[in-house]
Amino acid sequence: MAEPALALVQSSPSPARAQIAFDNVALTLGGKAIIDTISLEVAPGEILCVVGASGCGKTTALRLAAGLYEPTGGSVRFEGEPMRAPRREIAVVFQDYGKALLPWRSAAGNISLALETIGMPAQQREARITELLAKVGLAGHAAKYPTEMSGGMQQRLQIARCLAQDPKVLLMDEPFGALDAMTRQGLQDEMLALVASTGATVVFVTHDLEEAIYLGDRVVGLLPHPGRVGLELTVDLPRPRDQLATREHPEFLRLRRALFDFIKASE
Amino acid sequence: MRWSVIGWRLASFVVAAGLIALWQVAADQRLVSPVFLPGPDRAWASLMRGFTSGDLLAKLMGTLTHMAYGWLLASIGGVALGAMIGSSKAMRSYVAPTLELLRPLPVSAIIPVAIAALGLSQGMALFVIAFGSVWPMLLGTIHGFAAVEPRLYEVARVLHMSRLAVILKIALPSAAPDILAGMRLSLTVALILAVVCEMLAGLDGLGQWVLLSARAFRSADLFAGVMLLGLIGYVTALAMGAAESRLLRWQAARR
Ligand SMILES: Nc1ncnc2c1ncn2[C@@H]1O[C@H](COP(=O)(O)OP(=O)(O)OP(=O)(O)O)[C@@H](O)[C@H]1O
Ligand SMILES: [Mg+2]
Repeated sequence: MAEPALALVQSSPSPARAQIAFDNVALTLGGKAIIDTISLEVAPGEILCVVGASGCGKTTALRLAAGLYEPTGGSVRFEGEPMRAPRREIAVVFQDYGKALLPWRSAAGNISLALETIGMPAQQREARITELLAKVGLAGHAAKYPTEMSGGMQQRLQIARCLAQDPKVLLMDEPFGALDAMTRQGLQDEMLALVASTGATVVFVTHDLEEAIYLGDRVVGLLPHPGRVGLELTVDLPRPRDQLATREHPEFLRLRRALFDFIKASE
Repeated sequence: MRWSVIGWRLASFVVAAGLIALWQVAADQRLVSPVFLPGPDRAWASLMRGFTSGDLLAKLMGTLTHMAYGWLLASIGGVALGAMIGSSKAMRSYVAPTLELLRPLPVSAIIPVAIAALGLSQGMALFVIAFGSVWPMLLGTIHGFAAVEPRLYEVARVLHMSRLAVILKIALPSAAPDILAGMRLSLTVALILAVVCEMLAGLDGLGQWVLLSARAFRSADLFAGVMLLGLIGYVTALAMGAAESRLLRWQAARR
């Protein structure tokens, strides 16, 4: 795991080291400033969580990082290079998994979509699909259609499809927001294990302050109108995290309080 | 569940058999002059005679060919054009008003124009059938392409899918239910127009057979032709339904 402290050094940018860097990024959509000058760096292997009141621009910031929007001011860089379009090294896990999956393709077929697109030969795909399904706990569900799966399973499937891209970065927009508490906690731990095994960099948007602290190496709080960084917290909690021990840790409680106060003040 | 299906099949069979029996009784009792209404026995005999010693098979093939060519042409054209129009917002707003103007135009109004331009030819029939049956597919495809979940296009962008791959793997399958529903509607239109064209242009087919039989007061032959036409409509609709439920298997999971 990269040292989170490195990424905190905002005043002396280190473009070569940052996986994703926002340089005075601003975005105006339809004459309205949605994001105004965000500067931020995400180190390789880091898990950065983004919180903020509804409508403050979290999704927009994530879309900028994905290359789905082009900034109207400043620049977004990926490994030092300016980003103009989405790239395969950056996978996006959308919140609305029901819309992001192809309903006419089975679980295997949905993963295959990514493998076909990266040009994997057909005879290699099946083994890779089986491996990926097993990785996200969907072994034996290859033939199921998304509509035959629960919400948690569908989101796992979307994550598996993202992993099929072999991404260096996972951008996740409230991926567990629509799931019940039990499923959500299970998926949090699964995601941490997956990320630890792949070494991917993660930017994770969430409404849930505890989730942000539980998952993150660092938590960024955005302020609304226009969206900008209002708070940065380094999460100094031991890994691997544990649903009970971590959440009872005094540091966890302190961070939760700080985030809570921030959100309260920003609304 | 299974039993109720079998029950319904049986019931519909009984109804059909009852209607045929009624027809036979009406004919036997001469409720209608046999010049106009042959019994099912005579119609059947005429049907068999047409196949064995007459050229009914050739007429049947003629109608099927007209229908198939026109329908296929309309399918290819309709889906291609619909995909082009449906996948671009600008195209939709430019072309939609024209389509709305053309669509309610009765095809029968087009026929004289087609005859004037193309003569009483196969080409005319092909044009009329294709033009008449293109609408459900064209509009279905436009609607289907316009209604593709935008999130899926973003998935495609993130994956760097090519334009062709996006059309083949995302837009087309997503629009498939609308397209197939259009194709099913078009099938009926194509059959009707095939018959009309055969009657008007004297092209080899059941339309011509029916018309000539009627003119010669050969009511049994006339009914044989009509029965065959009904059968074509029924069988093609059945085949289309089977193709649809196979291609849209994934929708069964949703229901
Ligand atoms: N395409 C757009 N055109 C104009 N305004 C937009 C557009 N997309 C988003 N906005 C506005 O930008 C602001 C930020 O939106 P965004 O979706 O990024 O918020 P968010 O923090 O993700 O909210 P939530 O927590 O509800 O998901 C909102 O006020 C929204 O109305
Ligand atoms: Mg959002």
